[in-house]
Amino acid sequence: MKNLEIPKIYSIKKTPKKTLENWFRLMTIGRAIDNKAPNYLKQAIGWSYHAPYAGHDGIQLAVGQHFEKNKDHIYLYYREMLTAIAAGMTSEEIILNGISKATDPSSGGRHMSNHFAKPEWNIHSVSSSTGNHTLHAVGTARAIKYYGEKAVAISGQGESSVSEGYVYEAITGADKEQLPVIFVVQDNGYGISVPKKDQTANRKVANNFSGFKNLRIIHCNGKDVFDSMNAMAEAKRFAIEESKPVFLQANCVRMGAHSNSDDHLLYRSSAERNYVIEYDPHAKFRRLLLRYNRFTEEELLEIEAAVKAEIKVSHKAAMNAPDPSPDSIYDFVIPEPFVSEKYPQGLHSEVGEKKKLITALNETLKAEFRHNPDTFIWGQDMANKDKGGIFNVSKGMQQEFGEKRVFNAPIAEDFIMGTANGMSRYNKKIRVVVEGAEFADYFWPAMEQYVDTSHDYWRSNGKFSPNITIRLASGGYIGGGMYHSQNIEGALVSIPGVRIVYPSFADDAAGLLRTAMRSEGLTMFMEPKALYLDPKAATVVPDDFEVPFGKARIRKEGDMLTIITYGNTTHLCLDAANKLQEEGINAEVIDLRSLIPLDEEAIINSVKKTNKVLLVHEDKVHGGFGGELSAIINEKAFEYLDAPIRRVGSPFTPVGFNRILEQAILPNADIIYKAAKDLISY
Amino acid sequence: MKKTAIIYSYNSQKSKKVAEKIIAAFGESNIEAINAEKLTKEVFENFSNFILSSPTWFDGELPNYWDEFVPDLEEMDLKGKTFTVFGLGNQKDYPENFCDAIGILVELLEECGAKVVGRTSLEGYNYESSRAEQDGLFVGLPLDQENQARLTNGRIESWVTQLIKEMD
Ligand SMILES: Cc1cc2nc3c(=O)[nH]c(=O)nc-3n(C[C@H](O)[C@H](O)[C@H](O)COP(=O)(O)O)c2cc1C
Ligand SMILES: Cc1ncc(C[n+]2csc(CCOP(=O)(O)OP(=O)(O)O)c2C)c(N)n1
Repeated sequence: MKNLEIPKIYSIKKTPKKTLENWFRLMTIGRAIDNKAPNYLKQAIGWSYHAPYAGHDGIQLAVGQHFEKNKDHIYLYYREMLTAIAAGMTSEEIILNGISKATDPSSGGRHMSNHFAKPEWNIHSVSSSTGNHTLHAVGTARAIKYYGEKAVAISGQGESSVSEGYVYEAITGADKEQLPVIFVVQDNGYGISVPKKDQTANRKVANNFSGFKNLRIIHCNGKDVFDSMNAMAEAKRFAIEESKPVFLQANCVRMGAHSNSDDHLLYRSSAERNYVIEYDPHAKFRRLLLRYNRFTEEELLEIEAAVKAEIKVSHKAAMNAPDPSPDSIYDFVIPEPFVSEKYPQGLHSEVGEKKKLITALNETLKAEFRHNPDTFIWGQDMANKDKGGIFNVSKGMQQEFGEKRVFNAPIAEDFIMGTANGMSRYNKKIRVVVEGAEFADYFWPAMEQYVDTSHDYWRSNGKFSPNITIRLASGGYIGGGMYHSQNIEGALVSIPGVRIVYPSFADDAAGLLRTAMRSEGLTMFMEPKALYLDPKAATVVPDDFEVPFGKARIRKEGDMLTIITYGNTTHLCLDAANKLQEEGINAEVIDLRSLIPLDEEAIINSVKKTNKVLLVHEDKVHGGFGGELSAIINEKAFEYLDAPIRRVGSPFTPVGFNRILEQAILPNADIIYKAAKDLISY
Repeated sequence: MKKTAIIYSYNSQKSKKVAEKIIAAFGESNIEAINAEKLTKEVFENFSNFILSSPTWFDGELPNYWDEFVPDLEEMDLKGKTFTVFGLGNQKDYPENFCDAIGILVELLEECGAKVVGRTSLEGYNYESSRAEQDGLFVGLPLDQENQARLTNGRIESWVTQLIKEMD
């Protein structure tokens, strides 16, 4: 995009005195706290992470002043204290965050200091992962555009973190979708000790994006209040009026070290440390106010004195605020799910025509999209004519619900996941379903967003829950080799904040999907893709079926042995159990359905009855979920066991492509049968 | 020739030394040095020929002493006055914004109606882009003390000779 004019709305001579006064007051409050923050650490009160913003004053004032609370959405990075203040947060709120008090509006002391947020105003809670919220801002901007609001999403970061791959995903995605989002990049020349020449070939990182069709690049002097205000005003006008993204690069200096744990004497000369202080934006603004006779020295001193008094009061109030209580740690791990009144156990006795698992998923998705107009779904190969989803699970949805609710995502899994998070921040009504990847095997690029999203609810102290269902076609038995056969739940179960379900029959798949899509919070919905069309997994599915989370289903009752399983292996376990039954061995088969939350009660009750346990899953035995199940049973039901717990699963290898290799690796009914026999005769 | 003012920062490191060389080349009696750090509007009224010194800082920015003067400068009527600008820069470390400040100042001066002289050849420099470049010439004199200090004296000498001809 060619260089467009930046209108000069603000200038030292023309900007009204009241406005200048407000700016000076905000900037003085900011600097007073920025300078005071290290004292809290020295006195062992807190604020152990502080990244001073001094040197970024102009752009941060401008960004904060252009944020309209409850309308725009903003994501601040850890160096944006002045943006937070200029956006309306009080000095007391800033200090509450700094010293991690229970009443800290950002996180109630749960998240690191210097991560300022106020979700109730749309100053969103952010990660410490540099640049990670660019994707959230893009997702929020997608919602802004969808709902036709004249607002903007703003994302802040430094120039070095633009190197992150997901930042490129965010910018190219916003460019393609033409979204009203501003990426504000504050260039202070360093990422901790690394000079920007080690990050980017163009010294101005914004210029790396000059080929992006709809992206407007604006450069400004972030050390200058007026240049920054004019640039930000134009960025916001453009983003909203044209519905296009802006990359606003602000030239700043880092007057101090990266943070309190960095010693910049190790890598910056004294000449450099001096000139960055000479270019102090705050001092420059003050000089301008005097030079152009907008204020007298006495007037400025008066403002400075008033700020000092205000900070004293805020400090006192913050010091007296309550600390978070240790027994609050379990609050807001995951929101309460939708409660099923009709099917409290997730069981039904409907008779009639059986439906395949894929049909059950497709029909449930459609039913829920009809039920809630604020549902959206995207993924790769989501919709093109008769193709709907990589496995056609979402076939026909775009035709019925339109391409604004059902659409293709780029081949960028982190973008898929990150924009789901961002879009669901727009309001609580929204429910997002994503095909997180075409195969579970390709979900790994999205892991940083997955992890981040998993603790959003906890981190924001319950103020924001990402209401997302991630669908993943999982598992093997299709001759897919090591990139089309993976089960990844073993790696995921150690991350708190996500429900993980893995149905194995059509009715449970429908019921769990409905519950996931009606619940708040994040649900990982694993689909055993080998069973999509398999008649074994077909069942009668009540139209309104619901399966609560954490309710296992006894698929075969028995009293001699408990086989606990989920996903593909449920069917193999049933085959084995039926064979055992022919020999008079009465095994119980429990299909967990939910891994998290786990139906411990069903497990323990069964163990009490059978006294022997066989754990079966397709995933690797080593590090698989069976290890956790085994430990739980040991801890809670050891005295009922008559034999050691046994596990069946894949060996500690990848899954081979040749069917001979696949068969040698993935568990089968025969192996399960043999393990069960062994256990019975123990 | 009318009275000429040379305006540079007395706090600057390298620009100050270069300015002193220019003063010497001009002959001290023909020129009056003025501290850019303490610049007032009146200076621009009192002279008709000006040599301004502006190094480029922070990837293409004016130093504060000029930037803070811009709000006044923008409103001036400089018709009938003659200006030239020299600027220090570093073409190796900042090749994308080599001596941009010269271009920024000249643009402002021309908008105020000033006559700008002292354009120089692009030859002998190696950079990627510069706001000081216009129609195949630099709109002033770029000097690179970090990479081409040995060329500075010669560049000053021929530039001053040119200025004496071009200034009224
Ligand atoms: C942080 C910094 C940024 C700079 N940016 C530029 C630039 O964009 N373009 C350029 O030509 N020179 C740039 N320079 C080089 C200076 O202009 C050069 O060092 C000059 O000699 C400084 O003059 P002074 O000491 O008189 O201020 C930069 C130097 C520093 C330290
Ligand atoms: C994903 C990730 N990698 C590394 C870090 C460690 N880290 C914290 S701040 C930082 C430098 C970021 O520099 P820049 O984006 O330029 O912002 P600045 O701090 O200079 O304002 C790094 C590497 C992190 N927080 N997140």
